[in-house]
Amino acid sequence: MMAERIETCDVAVIGGGPAGLAAALGARRAGAGSVVLIERDRTLGGILNQCIHDGFGLFLYKETISGPEYAERLIEDVARESIKVEAGAMVLDLAPDRLLRVNARQGYRLIRAGAVVLAMGCRERTREMIEIPGTRPAGIFTAGSAQNLVNLQNLRIGHEAVILGSGDIGLIMARRLAFEGVAVKGVFEILPWASGLERNVRQCLMDFAIPLELGSTVVEIRGRDRVESVVVAKVDGALAPVAGTERAIPCDTLLLSVGLIPENELSKRAGIELSPLTGGAVVDETLMTSVEGVFSCGNVLHIHDVADRASFEGFAAGKRAARFAAGERAAARTVRVSAGSNVRYALPQLLTAGKAGVEWSFRVTRPMRSVSIEIKGRTSGRIYARKKFPRLLPSELQKLKVSEAIEEDIEVAGHE
Amino acid sequence: MSERPVVDRLTCVLCPVGCELEVGKDAAGEIQVQGNQCDKGLPFAVEEVLHPKRNLATSVPLGGTAARMVSVRLTRTVPREMLFPILKEIAKLRPEAPVRRGQVLIPDVLGTGADVIATRSVA
Repeated sequence: MMAERIETCDVAVIGGGPAGLAAALGARRAGAGSVVLIERDRTLGGILNQCIHDGFGLFLYKETISGPEYAERLIEDVARESIKVEAGAMVLDLAPDRLLRVNARQGYRLIRAGAVVLAMGCRERTREMIEIPGTRPAGIFTAGSAQNLVNLQNLRIGHEAVILGSGDIGLIMARRLAFEGVAVKGVFEILPWASGLERNVRQCLMDFAIPLELGSTVVEIRGRDRVESVVVAKVDGALAPVAGTERAIPCDTLLLSVGLIPENELSKRAGIELSPLTGGAVVDETLMTSVEGVFSCGNVLHIHDVADRASFEGFAAGKRAARFAAGERAAARTVRVSAGSNVRYALPQLLTAGKAGVEWSFRVTRPMRSVSIEIKGRTSGRIYARKKFPRLLPSELQKLKVSEAIEEDIEVAGHE
Repeated sequence: MSERPVVDRLTCVLCPVGCELEVGKDAAGEIQVQGNQCDKGLPFAVEEVLHPKRNLATSVPLGGTAARMVSVRLTRTVPREMLFPILKEIAKLRPEAPVRRGQVLIPDVLGTGADVIATRSVA
């Protein structure tokens, strides 16, 4: 039997969306000699290709452009650098020693990377995951798959639609369907607040007089071959449907915008420790996971609110991966970071003791007004950073930086 | 100022910060805005209450194909009531490949001063 030939590279980036493109660029610009960017789809860009609405690029390019334009600009930057792009290639396995098994167009290949950047993005929660009772007719789509069918495949997905969940893709699809002449009967959100950005509530729903019903959900899907109606009901404080509040809404289409899940199947195969709070890897201030030399960024690490921030994280992860590939090693990561009251998670979760100038990403658990976010030492009770926000929403990813060095475990918490 | 009638409460959509703006009128009938964290908030709120403006995005099939799509948007915002008339104009488009990102497909659509441009390149 012939020995399998193993190719080598300094940095391998898995996933060619807003985070992965930036990671490949970040690695090159930080001096990595050979960078391979592996993308499962036939073209680079990831979900940006179907996000034709504007609002991208405000932070990265200082102007508001559409998803495809944002992707093309990054792809052009990648083309200018000597980055090896492998599109239409699927990473089947990632071993802890950074050996990638890749099913590429030319066949099965092995790549040993000096460092790996995970940028696989996320996927949508489905009807099965939220267990909506009823029949199983055609006409039920996740918002993102509907977006793909409408924007990239020129298909009409229905005539009368109900949207469950107020995530950004659902809100954007409400407007998109209104543009295409589909009657959008309403958006139903189980929580007492919208989970998408406020600007999307105004521009995508209020502009088109599409009702948003908070504190309600779909409790049944009816129809044999095609959706004929959905039954909605109010929910109580424990998010359980309230008997007697049900009403049927005739429609032929149900869109689900009920959350995103970081796509970490490869990370699990590599034995990377995942956080139950983010669904992504536990990382340190260099975005390195629990497996040496494997870094994570973008929506596979934690769900972002805007693509620009996923790209910024990508640039940082790529740069750190290049340094790791060049032999740079961090000291032991002994400081543990936890989320305190009103904070759902804070990232990074681990820190090298004595490290200064680290910035945390965090999200709050509920909408809050005049809130003070504190980063506090768990032993000394010392406040390392405090910032006041007039208003914080769970839909917004926020940042807080600590300039001084930290030697003890810390907690990120919010107080009204 | 406390008896100032509130005309509208709205969220500034110029950036993801999303300031909550309260638009009212003072005794002289002048529009007053509160809650903006930057200078852009004031003209935004006045315009949003009096003459809301929006961009739009859609996609059109390439000429001679059914499903090879080119996404498009406007180069600037237009009065909100122009969105559907503009969509009707865009629906007539069947651009021929190759299309370049930024290529003008309809200049000054319906006299709004906004161009309809392609937002992706298709070879």
